[in-house]
Formats: sequence, C-alpha cells, structure tokens
Amino acid sequence: MADYASAADVFAAIAGLESEVDARLGAVGRGRADVSAFAASVAAARARQRHQRDGLRRRLHVAEAAAAPAGPVEAAADLARLRAAQQALVHAHAEGLPALGDARAVDTLARHLVELAAQLTVIDLWLTAAEAGA
Amino acid sequence: MPESRRDFMLRVARAAGVAPLAMGLLEGRAQAGPASAGTDLEILFAALTLEHHAIALYEFGLRRALFPAALRDYAVEFRGDHLGHRDTQVAIAEERGGRPPVALAHYDFDPTPAGPAFVRQALEIELAAQRAYSALISGIGTRDYLLSAAFILVDEVRHITVWRRVLGLKIY
Repeated sequence: MADYASAADVFAAIAGLESEVDARLGAVGRGRADVSAFAASVAAARARQRHQRDGLRRRLHVAEAAAAPAGPVEAAADLARLRAAQQALVHAHAEGLPALGDARAVDTLARHLVELAAQLTVIDLWLTAAEAGA
Repeated sequence: MPESRRDFMLRVARAAGVAPLAMGLLEGRAQAGPASAGTDLEILFAALTLEHHAIALYEFGLRRALFPAALRDYAVEFRGDHLGHRDTQVAIAEERGGRPPVALAHYDFDPTPAGPAFVRQALEIELAAQRAYSALISGIGTRDYLLSAAFILVDEVRHITVWRRVLGLKIY
C-alpha cells in the first residue's frame, strides 16, 4: 500500500497512472468497436477530474505537476493490464486521501474515486466475459 | 414528485436506524466539526448501521431465493463484502473505545417479488450506502479509518455497477 507524504505526491501519482490507463485503453479500443463509448465517457470524466484537481492544486498551493510520464508507447491491447492499471489508479485515489489534509480535497477525490471504481468494474465485467468466452 | 437521490438516501438511513447526530451530518443540518475521535465514531456508527441494513437485506433475499438464480453468486459475494465492512468497522470502533451499534432486531423490507424487482431493492440499499459514505468521508479525521472508508466505497460502487448492468441501466 502506498504511503503518500503530501498532496503533491498524490497528484503526481494520479497523473502518471491516468497516462498509463489512457494508453492501455486506447490500445484495447483499437481492437474493439464496443469500447469507443466507454473510452469517450472515460475521456470526459478525465478532463473534468483534471480540471477539478487543478482547482485543488491552487487551493492547497501545490505546484503544477511536472508533465506526466508518457504511458507505454506501444501498450498492448491487453484487458488484464488495462484492469491492473485502472486498479492502481483507483488505489492511488483511495490511499492518497489521508495525505491531502483538507476536507474539500478529500470530498473531491472521493467523488473521483467513485467514478473510477465504476470504470474499474466495467473493465472487470469485460474481463469476466472474455474469460468465460475463452 | 419523484424522490430526490438525497431524500432517498436519508430515508434509507432513517430506516436503518442511523443516530441523530450522523443524520444531522447527512442532512446538512450539522457540520462535521474539526476532525476528532468523536466525529469519527459518529460516522463509523452511521456506516455500521447501514452495513447491518445491507447484510439483513441480502440475507433476506438469499434465504427466500429472491435473487435470480444466475445472480445468486453475486449476492453471496456482496453479502460477504458487507460482512467484511461490518467487521472492519466494529474493530476500528472498539479499538477507539466505542460501543458499536448492533443490528436491529427486525428490518421491514418492502414486500418485493423475486427477480429484477428485488435486485432493484438491493441496488437502492447500495446506492444509499455509497451516498452516505461519499457524504461523510470528508469528515473522517484518522488515517486508518479514512483508508478503510475509501476501500469500502470502492466495493459499494462495484456492487452498484454490477446491479445496474444486470438491470439494463446505464453504467458509463
């Protein structure tokens, strides 16, 4: 379990993991037409969540995060790896809450956690269906 | 007029027996003051009360075979999650010297027919729990309980998403 020391650490971890999920989701989506609606929904939530984190960064006087490390350039279209990356993103939100030290920031990231956990379940359901069909 | 999400969550919390102080937090009548052991216990007790309610509903449904047979495994899994949430929170409360609330002697569940209608009832309890955790989580002051509540919230969302999909509702 990650033990974040500060809000800056939490935001940096989230940004890096978002980048990985986006790359992996893009790769999975290239092989599956049915993923496009989900990917569009994830992208919309991502943009809103980033905007809200920017607001929190200003509120908490946290410096702008360095550019997120690029995701895997050629992420394989691998549902299990997408699931693992999404789970890591969910866990970063959960494990990051105690490091925020601000009730409004906890409230906001907890709401993001709810959206991300729902996305994780969708991926889980795909994975279960894929394994059942294998 | 259809019941708002907030009103629904409050109705379930009242039916589950959530104590007045935590009800005040949920209704927005009371502010969670500075994070304190006392506030954490109030939130813990409210969350536990909802967990007891959810466990009772799943047991009621499983005992009477109200979940469709193909979904029974999910119902058993989710009941297990709620039992785990209950035990974790009882342990946290007792560690802090609190006397956690026990389950009610009797729960009045709507006389719902078996099948999708009962799944919808389970979904509603899960939604109420998720909204209550979401509303209360920013008032939690201690690291271990905040982490525990966050991971419980993840489980509640999983339950909601699975039931929504089963019922053909939008999940993204």
